Amino acid sequence: MSVDYLLHESPVGFGIFALKMQSDTVGARLKEVQDAHTDLGRFGKMVQLVSFAPFQGASQALENANDVSEGIMSEYLRTVLESNLPTTTGKKAKNKVVLGVGDRNLAGSIKQAFPGIECETGETSELVADLLRGLRLHAEKLLKGLQTGDVSRAQLGLGHAYSRAKVKFSVQKNDNHII
Amino acid sequence: MGAKGGQRVVIEPHRHPGVFVARGKEDLLVTKNLTPGEAVYGEKRISVETPTAVSGDGAVNGDTAPVATKTEYRVWNPFRSKLAAGILGGLEDIHMKPGSKVLYLGAASGTSVSHVADIVGPTGTVFAVEFSHRSGRDLINMATHRTNVIPIIEDARHPLKYRMLVSMVDCIFADVAQPDQARIVGLNAHQFLKVGGGVVVSIKANCIDSTAAPEAVFAREVVKLREERIKPKEQLTLEPFERDHAMVVGVYQRSSS
Repeated sequence: MSVDYLLHESPVGFGIFALKMQSDTVGARLKEVQDAHTDLGRFGKMVQLVSFAPFQGASQALENANDVSEGIMSEYLRTVLESNLPTTTGKKAKNKVVLGVGDRNLAGSIKQAFPGIECETGETSELVADLLRGLRLHAEKLLKGLQTGDVSRAQLGLGHAYSRAKVKFSVQKNDNHII
Repeated sequence: MGAKGGQRVVIEPHRHPGVFVARGKEDLLVTKNLTPGEAVYGEKRISVETPTAVSGDGAVNGDTAPVATKTEYRVWNPFRSKLAAGILGGLEDIHMKPGSKVLYLGAASGTSVSHVADIVGPTGTVFAVEFSHRSGRDLINMATHRTNVIPIIEDARHPLKYRMLVSMVDCIFADVAQPDQARIVGLNAHQFLKVGGGVVVSIKANCIDSTAAPEAVFAREVVKLREERIKPKEQLTLEPFERDHAMVVGVYQRSSS
């Protein structure tokens, strides 16, 4: 199945990319095909940014990170998908749109909410896995309005917030002893 | 602290960029402390004065005395860190250097991670994954002082859960001591490791299969890594620092040709 769109979940926001050039699945493991994903110049010709929806602050980022981690489609992601993917219901319905998503669970949640969207994940299609790897590698250059260091700063903040919530870490106490 | 009684210690760069050797009464493996004045786990620190080169042909203009800046190094104990043991054992390539991005699986309390953070320096990043909450707290604590460490309290078996927190990395270091560790490393490599990136895995034979001979276990693990498209480059035992441990270094090749 060919892929039309890709979803990239970055610590700064969601990015939706359209696939301009379909490479066939047969040669996915060839060295030339692989190199195309590593080279920004060539990869930039394969995908095109449709929309970048940044998070409004750290708390929203954390909520979305938690949802993405659990495979739940957050309200924010829902609106982002709704406004950026072509409508597939109603009279104007075209063929189904195929969206490349990283995780199977999230793909399931998206399919449930949008009947017109088919999902391919990195597990079902090596092509999607490769494309998502490319997006991860070049995210900072492909997402508009970002500067170098933005993604890593967001990762640092989000990593701390996410992990602290996991272990119920508080800065005041060294540890919560159970006596 | 520092070298006992202020004896002369000379710092020499190690073959691996970012790693140093302190030559004093005995030779010690050290890394340049990213947070001078602070020890992470009570390790020894060594301060060395490095006279800064005065601009021009010499300090003739009397008022600018050569300023000596102090650089602090932290002693890296090979009995406590498998990576240090591997370096002393003579690993050819550790795939991490100043500026590298490293995904560290099995970060524990972050003692070894702090040395990796020293190696990659302020321009590099260490993504430290640890599942245990108890050691995770220590890891987060350590990371608050070192901004190039990103703590991730999550199961390394499910890299998709932390895909928003990690970018593409140059190297994966794994010290997870799980029976399925080759699979864990593979999953993370497919997700986050650059093509041609390095994989450094510490294998504890007992944790994989306690009934088979260690050599047989290591050989089997290398085969499993190969199946995950990781081409093994070198293997070495961690004697005399650890018993029945091996360090395997490989390179990730995504294309099959």
